[in-house]
Amino acid sequence: MKLDPRTKLLLTLVANGMIFTAPLAYSILMVLATSILLIFEGKWRFVCAFFFVYLGAGVFFDAVKSLDIGTSGTIIVASLFLIYRIMPGCVVLYYVMTTTKVNEFMAGMSRMHVPNKVTIPLIVMIRFFPTLFDEARDIGHAMQMRGIRLFSLRTLTNPFSILEYRLVPLLVSLTKIADELSIAVVTRGLSPETRRTCIATIGFRVQDVIVFVYCLAVVALLCGITPFSVILEDGP
Amino acid sequence: MPKGRPIESIIMTITLKNVSFSYTDSLYDAVIKDLNLEIRSGECVILAGESGCGKTTISKLINGLIPLYQSGTMSGDVLLGDKNTADMTLAEISRYVGSVFQNPRSQFFNIDTDSEIAFGCENLGMDPEEIRERVNRVVKEFHIEHLAGRNIFHLSGGEKQKIACASVSATDPEIFVLDEPSANLDLKSVADLAEIVARWKKAGKTVVVVEHRIHYLRDIADRICYVKEGRIAYEWTPAELEAKGAEYAASLGLRCVNLKQLNEMGDARLRGHDKKGVIAGEAKQSLNEILVFYDLHFAYNRKFPILDIPTLTLPWGQITALIGHNGAGKSTLAQVLCGLCGAWRQKRKVRKYGAYLIMQDVNHQLFTESVLEEVLLGMDPPNEKAALEILVGLNLEQYAYEHPMALSGGQKQRVAIGSGVSSGRDIVVFDEPTSGLDYRQMLAVSATLQKLAASGKTLLVITHDPEFILNCCSNIIRMEHGKIAEQYPLQGNQEKLVQEMTTFSFDCLG
Repeated sequence: MKLDPRTKLLLTLVANGMIFTAPLAYSILMVLATSILLIFEGKWRFVCAFFFVYLGAGVFFDAVKSLDIGTSGTIIVASLFLIYRIMPGCVVLYYVMTTTKVNEFMAGMSRMHVPNKVTIPLIVMIRFFPTLFDEARDIGHAMQMRGIRLFSLRTLTNPFSILEYRLVPLLVSLTKIADELSIAVVTRGLSPETRRTCIATIGFRVQDVIVFVYCLAVVALLCGITPFSVILEDGP
Repeated sequence: MPKGRPIESIIMTITLKNVSFSYTDSLYDAVIKDLNLEIRSGECVILAGESGCGKTTISKLINGLIPLYQSGTMSGDVLLGDKNTADMTLAEISRYVGSVFQNPRSQFFNIDTDSEIAFGCENLGMDPEEIRERVNRVVKEFHIEHLAGRNIFHLSGGEKQKIACASVSATDPEIFVLDEPSANLDLKSVADLAEIVARWKKAGKTVVVVEHRIHYLRDIADRICYVKEGRIAYEWTPAELEAKGAEYAASLGLRCVNLKQLNEMGDARLRGHDKKGVIAGEAKQSLNEILVFYDLHFAYNRKFPILDIPTLTLPWGQITALIGHNGAGKSTLAQVLCGLCGAWRQKRKVRKYGAYLIMQDVNHQLFTESVLEEVLLGMDPPNEKAALEILVGLNLEQYAYEHPMALSGGQKQRVAIGSGVSSGRDIVVFDEPTSGLDYRQMLAVSATLQKLAASGKTLLVITHDPEFILNCCSNIIRMEHGKIAEQYPLQGNQEKLVQEMTTFSFDCLG
C-alpha cells in the first residue's frame, strides 16, 4: 500500500508532536496506525519486535514505579523512560525512511512548493543514514581487532577515548563521502535552479484520505473536540 | 526551460587552450601548466600518468567541476564545441558531459537502482514517459535486468559502477568523462566496463578515461596521453605503447598494456631471484612449515554456507595470494580469520592467535592523534621503544608525531601495517592493498609486504591484481563458492595464473 509522501510527512509530524505534548495513549494510537501500515509493507517482524520490547518496557516501568530505588536508581530509570517515550516516534520514522524513495520525496516537496534549497539537504540526510551505519560497522570491526572494547580497563579509566576512537575515523570518512557525493550530484545536473520531473507517480488516494482523517481525528481528540472521539471509538 | 533534449547528436570537440590551474591562490605552484589538448568528437582518449601528475585535474576541467565547483586559480580556456565552460552552469554542462567517478560507494544518490538510473533525466526535466523508456532501453543495453529495482546499498562495487555508467548513459550526453573507474573493480567487472566503453565509442560518443590500468582499453582507445607535471609529455596509440615493451611502460609508472605480457615479466622476476637464490630457495625449504586452520565455516543461513573450508594451510613466513570472483567468500574468509564474524567460540579462539586485517579503506582503522600512539594502542603492555623500532622498519620514523590522517594514502597504509605488527599477531591479512595504485606505488607496497614476510609474518593477500601477484606472492589460493578450488605455488605456474585471471575476463566479454 503506497502512501503519498505528503501524507507520510503529516503522519511523522503528528506522531512526533504527540510524544511530549500528549498523554501516552495518543502516542500509542499513532503507533497502532503505523504498525498497520508496516504490516501492509510486509515488515511484521519489526512490528512484533517493537511491541515485544515496548510492552516489556511498559511492564518494567509499572513494576519499578512503586519500588524505592534511591536517587541514582531514579535517574537511570528516568532516562530509560525518556527513551521509552521517544520509541513511538522512532517507529513512524522507521516507516517513513524505509518506504519513501528519494525521488518521491522530492516530488512531494516540490508539489508543496518547498524550494530545492530546503529539499536537497533533507534528502542528503536520508541518503546519509545507511552510509553512516556501513562506515560505523567497518570502524567497529577495526576497533575489535585492536582489542578496544566497551568494557575494558582502558576504556573505563578513560571513557572519552572510546568516543574519540569511534568518531575520528567516522568523521574523516564521512567528510570525504559527503564531498564525493556532492560532486556526483552537481555533475548530474541537480542544482537549486533545476525544475525536476519525476518518474514516480505521487498523488492522494483512498488510503491517504484514511490516514489524513485518522491523524486529524487524533489531534482533534487531543484538543478536546468530543464529537470526533465518538467516531474514533467506533471507527478505525 | 526547454523540455527534453534540445540538441540532436552534434559535433563537439573538447579544446583546452593554454590552461593552467592551481588549487591555491597563485599559479606559482600550478598542477596544470600551460596545457594544450584537443579531443575530437567520437574519440576515445586515455589520460595516463603517475598519481599526482594532474590527470584527474584535467578530467575536472572537462566536466566543469573546475572552475565551477573547485576553488583555485585558473587561466586559459576550456571549450566544449564553441562554448566556454566558465560561462556555463554545471547543470548546463551536465547535458553534454556525463561523469563517472572512482568510488562506487559515493556516487549514487538514490536508494534504489531504477530511480538512480532515472535521476539524471529527471534533473534535465524530461517527460516521465520518455524517462521510463530510456531507463528500460539502458537496462537492456547494459544487460542489468537482474539489478533492476534493487537496493543499491546491497550491490557489489562492480554492480554499483555499472549502475553509475547506466545512469550517466540514460541522459545520452555527447562526452563521457571517467575518472579511474576501474580502481575498485575486479577483473570481471573491468571487462564489463570495457564493454560499456566500447558501446559508447561505437555510438559515436567522445570518451575520456583517466586511468593507469590500460590493458582493458587496449582495443578501444584511439590514443593514450601521458601526463607528467601538468603537461602532456607523450602521446601514443595503444599499439605503439605495447610495441615499446612492458619495461618501458613500467618505467613511466604505467601498469602493463597487455596482460599477456605479464608472463614474461613474472618469468624474468623469478629467474632473477633464482640467481640470487633468495626467495625461490626459501620457498622450497619452508614448504614444510605451514600454518593450519581447521573448520572455517560461516553461513547466514544453514542451508547456504558462504564459507565452508575444513582445513586451510598457509606456508609460514610467506605471501599467499587469495584470488577468486567477487562473492566467492574471500572477504568472509578474511573476517573469520580475524575473528570479526563467525560463531562465538571461533571468535574467542581467534582473539588469541588470529590474524590482523589491513582494510581496503585504511581510514577506518586509524583512530589516534599521532602515528606513534597508533602503534602503541594495540601493544600490551605499551613499549615506546619497540614501537619506534617498528616505525623505523616501515620508514615512518620521521612521521612519528604527525596526525595519521595528514599522511598520504601509502603512508596511512604503512601506519595500519605498523599497528598490525604491534598487535603481535603472526598472520596479517590484506584486503586489496593495491587497488587504484600506479606501478611505482604498487612496487612500494610489494616491497613493504616482502619485508614484513621476511620478518617472520605470514601474509594472506586478497587481490585482483595479477601484476602484483607476480611481483611478490609465492603461493596462490583460488576460492570458488566459499570453498578452496585450488592451491599451488607460484613458481612454475605463472602461465597458469595469468591464463586463469585473463581468460575469465575474456569469457565475460564474449
